[in-house]
Amino acid sequence: MAESQMDDIEGARQRFLNHPFESKSFEVVADKLAQYAAACGETHPRYTDPSHEDFQATPTWCSCLTPNRLIPKDFPKFEGFSLDGGKDVQPLAPIRPGAVLTGESMVHDIYTKTGRSGRMIFIVSRMELTDQDGTKVAVADTRIVIREDPKKDGAGK
Amino acid sequence: MILDLHSHSIKSDDGRAKVKNYCQWIRKRDIGIDGFVLSEHRQFDNDSDYSPLAEEFGLTILKASEVETEYGHILVYGVTPALQQAFDFTRTDLRLADVVNACEDHGALPIPAHPGRPKVGMGAHIATHGVPEGIRIVETYNGGSRGNENDQALSLAAEQGYLGIGGSDAHIVSHIGRCATRFDGPVSSDAELLEALKAGAFEAIELETE
Repeated sequence: MAESQMDDIEGARQRFLNHPFESKSFEVVADKLAQYAAACGETHPRYTDPSHEDFQATPTWCSCLTPNRLIPKDFPKFEGFSLDGGKDVQPLAPIRPGAVLTGESMVHDIYTKTGRSGRMIFIVSRMELTDQDGTKVAVADTRIVIREDPKKDGAGK
Repeated sequence: MILDLHSHSIKSDDGRAKVKNYCQWIRKRDIGIDGFVLSEHRQFDNDSDYSPLAEEFGLTILKASEVETEYGHILVYGVTPALQQAFDFTRTDLRLADVVNACEDHGALPIPAHPGRPKVGMGAHIATHGVPEGIRIVETYNGGSRGNENDQALSLAAEQGYLGIGGSDAHIVSHIGRCATRFDGPVSSDAELLEALKAGAFEAIELETE
């Protein structure tokens, strides 16, 4: 395999990793938090009952906050099939109703792996959420998987 | 002494098994292995200390790596800090010759994983790149193989005169121990594993684990 086969990945990493490209605001509404918790099967009133003294968002709630774009406008287009590779949330502080969160988006990681189907490219889109007081409350990652077209020359070798 | 020489924990991005859960499963289901080797994808786990788990469950838990080359995936045993400086484990476009040379320089051992597998098995690339130098052992029994992939690996080993090892390639708990390697003597450390592999005193086996 030629060294140049990963140049596309290395180039994208150097150009895009951890450079914020979008900022978006989200208002935290009690009913929405409770609905999300119920939909997840959560039963603890801390998450389901807005009248509870410690009412707050479930730890994974911010995974439903979506930026306008997961990747920058000028991000390179990798040929292949795109798949949702799942989400990770790192909760850092309680999120409560009335808060106004600012989500700052960036590409956190780009990496590849090879398998039976060839090369797969993983793009980790990260949104760092900060409340109105400047406290970072969560980090939410969304993974995009691109399975390269097996017919493409060099793909997956 | 029977060791599963190829497994992945949650340290690998596609691994779904915690090491403790492997241990619990082996004991609960009386899986016929004495231990296993964690060969995480594109990395070597320098941080984890599994000795308390090994002691608690009476198992040998060792560490290796699975790297990616133009010949597919290569298991590397005997990884040292110096070897980790010799090439970038994270890359998916390593040259096998570079991996083999680095292993020779640092006393490690490269063993092609699932060589009968399309795309990521060594056998799929011999027609294009030729028979690689510096390979003496391949993984002839892989627990994640489909169809005749292990037969292809066995054929390749017979043709080239390679020795064979076995590993489950487990990514989930219930797959641990599907394939393994039987050693003539005890193996209780990474150094002893390396020595036993280099001595060639072993055989690949399949185990009934269901």
